[in-house]
Amino acid sequence: MAAANRRRFLGTVAAGVVGLAVGGGLGWGLRSPETKEVTVTRERTVTAGGGERTVVSTVTSTVLGPTVTVTREVTARRTLPKDTIKIGVLGIRSGPWATYGTLIEQGAVLAMEEINAAGGILGSKISLAIRDEAADVVKQARELVEAENVDFLVGVDSSGNAMRVGPIMSELNKILVVTHAATHRFTEELVYTQKIKQLFRVSVPVYQDGILAAYVAKDLPVKKWAGINPDYEYGRVSWQFFKDTLSKLRSDVEFVSEQFNKSPGTTDFSPFLSAALGAGAEGIFTVNWALEAVTMHNQMKSLGVYDQVGAVINPMGYSMDVVYELGKDYPTAKHGTWVSGRYVWFYPKTPTNERFVESFRKRWGRYPAYSSETTYTAVYMLKAAIELTGSLDLDTLIRAMEGMVVLSPAGARWIRPDDHQAIYDVPYGKVTHVGGEIPLLTDLVTRSAWEYYRSPPF
Amino acid sequence: MLELLGHQILVGLFRSSYYWLIASGLTLIFGVTRVINFAHAAFFVLGGYMALTIDILTGNFWVAIAVATLSVGCIGAVVERGLVKPLYKIESLYQLLITFAVTLIINDASKLIWGAASRSMKLPAELAIPVKLAGRSYPLFFFFVITIAIIVFVALYIAMEKTFWGLKVKSTWRDITMAQALRINTGRIYTTTFFIGSLLAGFGGASMVAFTPVAPGLGDSLIITAFIIVVLAGLGNLFGAYISSIIIGIAESMFLLFTPELDILLIFVIMAAVLMVRPWGLFGER
Repeated sequence: MAAANRRRFLGTVAAGVVGLAVGGGLGWGLRSPETKEVTVTRERTVTAGGGERTVVSTVTSTVLGPTVTVTREVTARRTLPKDTIKIGVLGIRSGPWATYGTLIEQGAVLAMEEINAAGGILGSKISLAIRDEAADVVKQARELVEAENVDFLVGVDSSGNAMRVGPIMSELNKILVVTHAATHRFTEELVYTQKIKQLFRVSVPVYQDGILAAYVAKDLPVKKWAGINPDYEYGRVSWQFFKDTLSKLRSDVEFVSEQFNKSPGTTDFSPFLSAALGAGAEGIFTVNWALEAVTMHNQMKSLGVYDQVGAVINPMGYSMDVVYELGKDYPTAKHGTWVSGRYVWFYPKTPTNERFVESFRKRWGRYPAYSSETTYTAVYMLKAAIELTGSLDLDTLIRAMEGMVVLSPAGARWIRPDDHQAIYDVPYGKVTHVGGEIPLLTDLVTRSAWEYYRSPPF
Repeated sequence: MLELLGHQILVGLFRSSYYWLIASGLTLIFGVTRVINFAHAAFFVLGGYMALTIDILTGNFWVAIAVATLSVGCIGAVVERGLVKPLYKIESLYQLLITFAVTLIINDASKLIWGAASRSMKLPAELAIPVKLAGRSYPLFFFFVITIAIIVFVALYIAMEKTFWGLKVKSTWRDITMAQALRINTGRIYTTTFFIGSLLAGFGGASMVAFTPVAPGLGDSLIITAFIIVVLAGLGNLFGAYISSIIIGIAESMFLLFTPELDILLIFVIMAAVLMVRPWGLFGER
């Protein structure tokens, strides 16, 4: 018992130190560029040997990587071997999820227009080649690289497609920056375990959908949760993370019903909802997104489910397509409809973000969707890496991107060198109608990504 | 427990009715013309889109349903005359291919016209009235859909069994050469069948759009369940299709309650089991 406690204590302290070290890195990224070191002092309360005590750690962090800000300025005057840098964009452009391809495209186009208007990347212009990943992602990626000679690939909406296209990137030998697909296996298995160094991800993985959601759920007066999730990797993994994390955070919760709906293609949720109510659910957790999220919220309202359950958690519920579609009718539960995204347009309140939201609205007439922001950032990240190194050499660029801190609209993203995953925080919030065209989020739940992201070794 | 089962049966019945609105036209068209109309669910979704647009223009849900139903019916007839008819004399595979092409055209056209994002509309106030039933609340729309499914069934039954037109349709289906010899205009029967089948799809889609949003390509996933229902009943068996809609709808609903892990699989298991014992379907003729 004593040994177990000591192990747990040491484990917690070790985790704290690692967290602080990298947090220090992020802090370093946020301060003025001339500072080379940063000292972070934090207090952590840990339970050890039966009693609580406070541990004060001081960590001095050294430089973790270059910091770049998403700006229009061209930083240096070197020239590249080609006049045009071609970026291949993959997104879903057909079928029920087709709108997500448009969202990715909007981010990529905005970044391209801004960069080209400001003189390009070291004088070279950017051009885009956009393809439908739903039409065989492997074939599209091959054609982009082999026939269209793109220099980089960005995008990918579906987790399944990310897992299919990821393994061929070492053969194609081009950098792929994923901006939406969320399965943790992409970075944990393909990058960390299989060492496919060409892969990066600037969007959040399912840690956001499953793990952070559990932190939201733990503070709600709801004990009986039912899960209605899409029947594929994303739905199953998110629900599993949610259950595992919430059971650790709270011992009095029960998972009374777990169901998986066909996706895409579930148009009638009534039997799922009826079974969840029958099991006595007080809260509903669903990672259904896009069309199915709209369908489910509408039907939960029509069938009175919103009057019977206390809370609803829908991690993808603040995706802009869902928000605009439900608009003023976005239903709210007694203890809240808690939603998030991979970026939420009003968070954080920084000049970089405000400028991005403004330009996006001017260009496309709507608030930016998360995959627009992530793709926009991906293009700028590639620009930054090229400008830092003055090269298009793959290994040089990968080295520059590993550990890079990108000050993007969504805040500071640190590209973790081990798994090439961007570490940044995205909040959850309660859907609140304030009279505008779309609802806003209040009671934001923000936690440091270090607290809920899984860390290597996985 | 009994209450819970009751609720599950009710939502299953609603789902069955929804399935029947898709499957009825599909099996009618196949029964008469022997064309596997792959575009059928795309017509269903098109009905939803049309109703949505007309509802925005007129603000009247009922007008929207009527206009959408008729226009989809006419589109169906035009597709039959223009695209399918020239292929009757060759292998049926080509008919399947042409209807698949129509599906792709409808999917992409709807993306051009209505955008890639999903579109939905609110239940009209008169159908949103909550009906309290054993502690749960259902919108009146639920009972509306169940009722119209029954009305469609009865209307088709009367048309097929009690009218002279029905007799001509049946003779065309039994033996087309003999029907032609009896001076039945089989070409017109085919077009009318396509019209009615598409009309049903348009009607179903238009009625359901108030409950289920539409998106381009949504039909591709609906057509699979519709095929399962039609095959289970016996291809072309109109009345069997109603029963098998109910079987599938309620079975899905019950599986969700008791074996949620297996609900998608079990439908295919039912189909496989039935086809092994009765390859011609539950109600089909040998």
